[in-house]
Amino acid sequence: MSHGVRRARQSPQDIEARRLKEASKIQEYLDLYNNVMNKKTAKEWSQEAFDLTTQLLRANPELYTIWNYRRDTLTNGLFLSKTPEEINNILASDLQLTFAALRQHPKVYWIWNHRRWCLENTPNGPGTEENGEPGTPNDPVGWKRANWMKELAVCEKMLDADARNFHAWSYRRYVVASSPDSRPLASELAYTLKKIESNFSNYSAWHQRSKILSGLWESGEKTEQEVKDQELELVKQAFYTDPNDRSAWLYHRWLVGSGNDARILEREIAVIQELLDIEPDRCIEAIVHYKRLLIRHKPQDADKLKSDCAEGLRTLSRVDPQRRRRYEELEQSILGS
Amino acid sequence: MSTTTTAAAAKGSDEKLPELVIDKHVAYIQALGKNQDFAYHLTTHLRLNAVYWGLTALCTMGRKDALDREELIEFIMSCWDDEAGGFGAFPKHDAHILSTLSAIQILVMLDALDRLDIPRVVSFLLSLQNPTTGAWAGDRFGETDTRFLYIALNALSLLDQLDKVDRELTVNHIKACRNFDGGFGTSPGAESHAGQIFVCTAALAILDRLDEVDFETLGSWLAERQLPSGGLNGRPEKLEDVCYGFWVLSAMSILGKLHWIDDVALMKFILSSQDTEMGGISDRPGDMVDVFHTHFGVAGLSLLGYPGLQDLDPVYCMPAAVIEKKGLRKGWVALPRRTEL
Repeated sequence: MSHGVRRARQSPQDIEARRLKEASKIQEYLDLYNNVMNKKTAKEWSQEAFDLTTQLLRANPELYTIWNYRRDTLTNGLFLSKTPEEINNILASDLQLTFAALRQHPKVYWIWNHRRWCLENTPNGPGTEENGEPGTPNDPVGWKRANWMKELAVCEKMLDADARNFHAWSYRRYVVASSPDSRPLASELAYTLKKIESNFSNYSAWHQRSKILSGLWESGEKTEQEVKDQELELVKQAFYTDPNDRSAWLYHRWLVGSGNDARILEREIAVIQELLDIEPDRCIEAIVHYKRLLIRHKPQDADKLKSDCAEGLRTLSRVDPQRRRRYEELEQSILGS
Repeated sequence: MSTTTTAAAAKGSDEKLPELVIDKHVAYIQALGKNQDFAYHLTTHLRLNAVYWGLTALCTMGRKDALDREELIEFIMSCWDDEAGGFGAFPKHDAHILSTLSAIQILVMLDALDRLDIPRVVSFLLSLQNPTTGAWAGDRFGETDTRFLYIALNALSLLDQLDKVDRELTVNHIKACRNFDGGFGTSPGAESHAGQIFVCTAALAILDRLDEVDFETLGSWLAERQLPSGGLNGRPEKLEDVCYGFWVLSAMSILGKLHWIDDVALMKFILSSQDTEMGGISDRPGDMVDVFHTHFGVAGLSLLGYPGLQDLDPVYCMPAAVIEKKGLRKGWVALPRRTEL
């Protein structure tokens, strides 16, 4: 499959010329590929086999079977005759080696998977439980700590290059969760804030924030209301700065939730109403949603609220015709209730 | 939401739809593998999947017999990894759940399940679920992803072995992957993405547990994927892509909300991504075609009611007739098939 590659019209001569040019490249690749596959079939776990997988994976990092074989040559072969320190050196070097591949192919699952495997197979040491001291050269999990910290730095680099790379976010979550050092949720929260402040339109960072906050109030560190009140301030800044951006509106909707608190609903409706002149469409949709939730709290205002919603939805049908059937359906549902 | 876009969208509905050049696409699919250029050799890790994409596209276009049945079956069986009890993407490639599903789907479509060692494959599939978290791995190395969970359910139900699944455990894992926007991610904590939303929604449909989906919130998030060009993206601020025309559409079809997007605009986007000279469909207009986007483009058109196509089951992404015959049809809704362009 290809993404973002422009179509090129090629004459039969062009195609033939390219085929000839590629012929030697193809042969070279196939020779290497067949050599490695034969060794794999023969269950060869040698250093030579390992080195050949390095070459082949450089040529084609999407060969999941060869990543498997690479790991198997280590597990079934090379590791068996090595000390923990030597094993750690091999893994640390593999992480370094594959970083270049990762930069070129930031969304290839197999490369990220291999990094996890390297982390998971990092041995304890150099110190031991009995004679070791954390934070010293004799740290019982010193090698793990070092590898984990480097991987966190890899995540930062990858997310600086593309803040929406969900592989990098998932890997970051994994590294943080499985790290020998537990990171306080507050520092993760700070990281998401940094990402959001550098670009409010960072849906991935808002999403990550939603997960961390849920974790915060589930752990009892803060109450749900405390957390949500603070967040409503933050997200308000976001949609005032860039009302066009979808992320903040969706996040806001999640914070308001099922609308059990009429006071919050009314407050937020008022906040959004102030923006109406600048960014009508997004605001109208939000106001319709929250007024709809308000209906059950204010039966005496039900008729007015319903007609406000209907009017808003009719406006939306006009300015956003692609989704007009949804707005029409919503209008019917509100008026009919 | 500018006035230009509004005008264009309104005008669009009155024009005739462009033609889907079925003959060209059939020829394109038949020719795959004939021109063995470098790119072809670099994609062995996808080969079995590509066969599934090609065959399903042909079925949707009503041209199933354009490929030789025996040749296809022979190729599939050559991908069997006897050590693991599953299929790899290519001969001698390790078994993986991705290629295993493609193999099973193809054998079902070709009515050749008798070639399969069903107990071994079932064992392979079931062995990949984590008994504590309910997450599903893709192979012995343990990468978990909700895609693999869906694949397992799809495969096991095609093999009439769904009863072997711990439903509660599986549903709880899907719930753990649900997000603030009503969508689903690859794993607990992961961001909503149309591909993952499709697999989680389809998985819940297979288990008859769509009660775990917030239809309105998710439906509206999915409807928001439609961009002014008429194409769909996979998540906010991303580019439109024909393949999202399937992932998003199938999820919306399962939720019964297909009418929440502009069907004509999307059909036009897909149709303008065709290479009308050489055949095939690309990710967006003017890009290089490939069989992946050809399949998902045609699949999307089928769900949108494009005339002359066969019905496609969005839960299984296979011919609807085949799925119905197996008694596996769920309550999804596609747009009515138009009788003319």
